[in-house]
Amino acid sequence: MARYLAGRIAGLVLILFMVCLFTYLIFFKLSPDPAVMICGKTCTPERILQIRTLLGLDQPFFTQFWDFLSGLFAGRDYGSGANLIHCPAPCLGYSFQTSQSVWEMILDRLPVSATVAVGAAVLWLVIGIGAGLLSAVREGTWWDRTTMGLALGGASIPNYVLALALQYVLVVKLQILPFPSAVAFSDGPLLWLQSYLMPWIVLATGYACLYARLTRANVIDTLAENFMRTARSKGLAPVLTMRRHALRPALTPITTIFGMDFAALLGGALITETVFGLNGVGKMAADSIAKNDQPVIMAVTLLAAFFVVVGNVVVDLVYTGLDPRVRIR
Amino acid sequence: MSELLVVEDLTVTFPTTRGLVDVVKDVSFTVGRDETVGIVGESGSGKSMTSLAIMGLLPRGAVTRGSIRLNGVELLGRTDRQMRAIRGEQASMIFQDPLSSLNPYYTVGLQIEEMYRAHRGGSRKAAGKVVAEALAQVGIPEPDRRAGYYPHQFSGGQRQRIMIAMALVCSPALLIADEPTTALDVTVQAQILRLLAGLQKETGTGMVFVTHDLAVISSIAARVLVMCQGEQVEYGTAEQVFSEPRHEYTRMLLESIPRIDDEVVS
Repeated sequence: MARYLAGRIAGLVLILFMVCLFTYLIFFKLSPDPAVMICGKTCTPERILQIRTLLGLDQPFFTQFWDFLSGLFAGRDYGSGANLIHCPAPCLGYSFQTSQSVWEMILDRLPVSATVAVGAAVLWLVIGIGAGLLSAVREGTWWDRTTMGLALGGASIPNYVLALALQYVLVVKLQILPFPSAVAFSDGPLLWLQSYLMPWIVLATGYACLYARLTRANVIDTLAENFMRTARSKGLAPVLTMRRHALRPALTPITTIFGMDFAALLGGALITETVFGLNGVGKMAADSIAKNDQPVIMAVTLLAAFFVVVGNVVVDLVYTGLDPRVRIR
Repeated sequence: MSELLVVEDLTVTFPTTRGLVDVVKDVSFTVGRDETVGIVGESGSGKSMTSLAIMGLLPRGAVTRGSIRLNGVELLGRTDRQMRAIRGEQASMIFQDPLSSLNPYYTVGLQIEEMYRAHRGGSRKAAGKVVAEALAQVGIPEPDRRAGYYPHQFSGGQRQRIMIAMALVCSPALLIADEPTTALDVTVQAQILRLLAGLQKETGTGMVFVTHDLAVISSIAARVLVMCQGEQVEYGTAEQVFSEPRHEYTRMLLESIPRIDDEVVS
């Protein structure tokens, strides 16, 4: 087990390193000169050179990459003498647009994305798994057919369509909810809940539909397993048969998919956050791409990759806890 | 000898898209206490459906007619709750594929224990002792420790031993074994058969042994029921059926056994 864990963590570090390298390479090779962008409209060639030296852009690629990497762990200094700017670890550089520390921007916005992700996850797990279970138990009934039809439809609606439709109906027409804005919990729990409700529903809808279909399929497969016949032949109560023998095998595979979906969402829900004006990592990504703010683009890419890779390892570890066939060989 | 199980004119009907189909037609046989009755037939002959009908485990939609009496009590027409009290307690069943018949997510100890406690109640600790005894009885070494193992950690033969331990943990009057040795190696087959025969002698359990393998039947059953396409084609003592088969189908079955002194056709 310890060796397995060490192997997984070594793999994780390697993958993250590769992600860093390739993202850096892409932005280094494919993007316009950042010095020109920072310099702005009233710019002299001397000023551009100055900025290049300050950011280390005059250095060869691997030196720059090394500076970036070591900055992540040890912090780095820009410039020298009186102009020295110390960027403490983990240093992701400064936004070309606002000159803010990118790390601080992320710290600022991550809670918003996490709130969006956690709320949506709770909704889609409860609704998706619940509906899927009911459908599986009542396979072939009108309930099953209606739910699965709706699930197919729901999974096919693009997020931005649903987001705009919800906004139109709930905010503009019925005026049940206020126009969505970035609200902190400290501004009042009700207002907070109201401003997150629509993003949660929008994100949860697609996932809930997929999870309902997945749960239904898994439970139906499990109910047909030989060990279910054994459980019935033992004279166990139906509740115990269902809960112990059917649910655990049926729901275990769902943890895998959930872990990955949730991790991906932590990296920011780009469309939903943008439509609802939430200042999360997703909106930060959208803004930075629009303005070609390279340090920010780099950071959100790395952050998303980090969540996905770590999420995968966490899923594997959880799975070994859930499935004895993986745990004990 | 008073009869333990009496099956009379059992008919099992399934609704299909092509109308009603009788998968078991007018089958009658009896099993005495500590007697083994074999049911033989090829796939689809209705032998498994007959045993599932006795347990009340037929798939949804199946309709049964006739009579199944266990210890003089009619089983057909009972509610599900009443059947649950009988399943495992008075009649239990072992199946063909022991690996898929055990739940991979739970230790074998728990899977035996839950059955014992469903019928007899009591603490987990008390049940744990019973589980260890049951495992020891079927020849699992170190039963206390092995009870904490998962099904995939055992060999095929051991898994079937565990199924047998589970089936017998509440000392049922009737054991239905549905092709219990089919998925096993020949050498393991012999061990399992010996174990079943030994346990039966020891506990006095009546047994219905379902198989397509005539060689297995001849070694374990006193009486044999031959089924073909849902119908009972022959019923009598093993000796009778094997030495002077009255029905063409039985003769065909017997002739289909390859013999070591057969001429090799090349």
